[in-house]
Amino acid sequence: MVAPANAIETHDLTRNFGEFVAVDHLTFNVTKGSIFGFLGPNGSGKSTCIRMLCGVLAPTFGTASVNGFDIVKQPEEVKRSIGYMSQSFSLYRDLTPDENLTFFGGVYGLKGEQLKRRKQSVVELVGLQKYMDRPSGLLSGGWRQRLALAAALIHEPELIFLDEPTAGIDPVARRDLWDLLFDLAGQGKTFFVTTHYMDEAERCNEIAYIYLSKMMVMGTPEQLKSLPEVRPAGTRRVAVAISSPPRGLAALKRQKFALDATLVESEIHLLMPEETTDDQITAILDQEGLPGAVVRRIDPSLEDVFVTITRRLAKT
Amino acid sequence: MNNELYGFRSIALKEAMHIQRDRATLFFALVIPVVQLLLYGYAIDFDVRHIPTVVVDMDRTRESRDYIQSLHNTQYLDIVRMADSPDEAERAIRSGDCHVGVVIPPDFARLKGGPTPPQVRVMVDGSDSQVATRARFAFVSPPAGPAVDARMNVLYNPNSRTQIYMIPGLAAILLQLITVSLTSASLVREREQGTLEQLMVSPVGRLGLMLGKLAPYFFLAVIEMCAILVMGYLLFDVRVTGSVFQLILMSLPFIVASLALGLLISTSAQNQAQSMQLSMLTMMPSILLSGFVFPLETMPGPLYLLAHLFPVTYFLQIIRGVVVRGANILDLWPNVLALLILMVVIITAATVRFRKSSA
Repeated sequence: MVAPANAIETHDLTRNFGEFVAVDHLTFNVTKGSIFGFLGPNGSGKSTCIRMLCGVLAPTFGTASVNGFDIVKQPEEVKRSIGYMSQSFSLYRDLTPDENLTFFGGVYGLKGEQLKRRKQSVVELVGLQKYMDRPSGLLSGGWRQRLALAAALIHEPELIFLDEPTAGIDPVARRDLWDLLFDLAGQGKTFFVTTHYMDEAERCNEIAYIYLSKMMVMGTPEQLKSLPEVRPAGTRRVAVAISSPPRGLAALKRQKFALDATLVESEIHLLMPEETTDDQITAILDQEGLPGAVVRRIDPSLEDVFVTITRRLAKT
Repeated sequence: MNNELYGFRSIALKEAMHIQRDRATLFFALVIPVVQLLLYGYAIDFDVRHIPTVVVDMDRTRESRDYIQSLHNTQYLDIVRMADSPDEAERAIRSGDCHVGVVIPPDFARLKGGPTPPQVRVMVDGSDSQVATRARFAFVSPPAGPAVDARMNVLYNPNSRTQIYMIPGLAAILLQLITVSLTSASLVREREQGTLEQLMVSPVGRLGLMLGKLAPYFFLAVIEMCAILVMGYLLFDVRVTGSVFQLILMSLPFIVASLALGLLISTSAQNQAQSMQLSMLTMMPSILLSGFVFPLETMPGPLYLLAHLFPVTYFLQIIRGVVVRGANILDLWPNVLALLILMVVIITAATVRFRKSSA
């Protein structure tokens, strides 16, 4: 068999629950060795899509292959070839990390020396050596997620699904986990990640954004930021630095030219018509008693991308 | 204003809203007690009648047939079988098919109406106290016509010791209770903790999951079973009349069926509280309908059928048969067969239900 160039290929992948269409004709490819960000609001169909790709749920329509296996005809092969780590800690809390890894290794048919070697390898990878003998439930959130990642990697899957892997863990643990993912991706592993964090989305090689069960946009973060619908013709984005950003935001939001305005890192991000000048903005803020505003042109952020696309659809 | 009481109104209102939303709890609180009251109200009938009876008619005359008919007419006894010899009659009692045996002597017609009335031998199964006491009524109120000298002979438990029939019954009930509660929480717990999700994406098969969950509890239950038998002997002097090995052998399908019943409950419940409620739901019929308190034969049809959905009903017959009456596998095979079928049906049902609930 020729190794497929894509870890995942879907074609019109669809799943209905009764009348409700949970996943609507999704067609996309995930390149091997990439970190693929699968984004979308809660309830947009992300989880249903992942369950289909994991061979747990059959599609109503359409096809998909995962690691070269057909998800409908070969669900067992799909399951053996993937790793999965969910948002909530889903290992046995009363068992130690060592026992959990032994169990999941056994589930994937590892035993004896091989199991021992694999356990040692994943434990070293995530740096869990010191915590192997205490109940997993007593570990902190960050360590639990490392353990979950170790368990997902025990059988050396080429593709790993991470469903909101960093929800509820602290920023340092989050950074450590991502560093680990970069290392592994560098070794050729593919990651399919869902997240609500924009900084995490920025770290992905490619992003798919789904909303109301449909694929909205897909591409690299750079490609998404330069999409025409995010940079409507005749508009520009600026960041306004000022002494009291909340008051400034309230003042600017009252203006007709403010197409979109929000606060980011104590600056006001403003989308406005091309013809609105920087001086107009400083003048308005002056009147509000907020002198000394500094205006500079900016590119849209990923958050801007998703907010713009989602709001535009919600209006229609 | 008493600060300790502060918030009472809001809490009470909120709690009422929870109850209204939680249909399952509402159902268990209101409907189930009513249904159970109706069920057991009909089941609880100490006036035991229609006791299955085997008759050996060595006389085969009009008089002996009339006598048999008159026994039947008392309604205490149901003549369900005719045997050729007292031995055959005793086998029928040992196997649990009949609880009373009547042996009519060859000189019945000749002696009837004479100065010495004919002696009829009556064998009564002592392994069920209700039956043992009630069977006498058929003979103390003698049928019309000249007297018959009925000689009662209580088999298996001649001194009518309560422990002799209570301990084996209790053992069966306790075993089902333990096994069902052991497994009923297990799948739900995995669902609640999210570990089931992790298992679903792994190559673990559904039957592998089901049977794998049963296996360790199975050994636990077998040990428990042996412990109960030893305790019954040491503390209550209840000896196993038949073969201990055969008893343990016949307990195996019972234990698996009960454990699987727990798993079936587990697949139906959304959370551990519900699985608890459902386990409790199986407890009442197990105690009241299994034949532990009331003889199965006297139960109204629907309850009789309901009773036979629970593994304990069959095992109660088995354990009483072996412990009290010295019955063996050949006597009790219909119960064993029923348990094997029930075991397969329950495991299949649990596996199918699990597939649906997890999809």
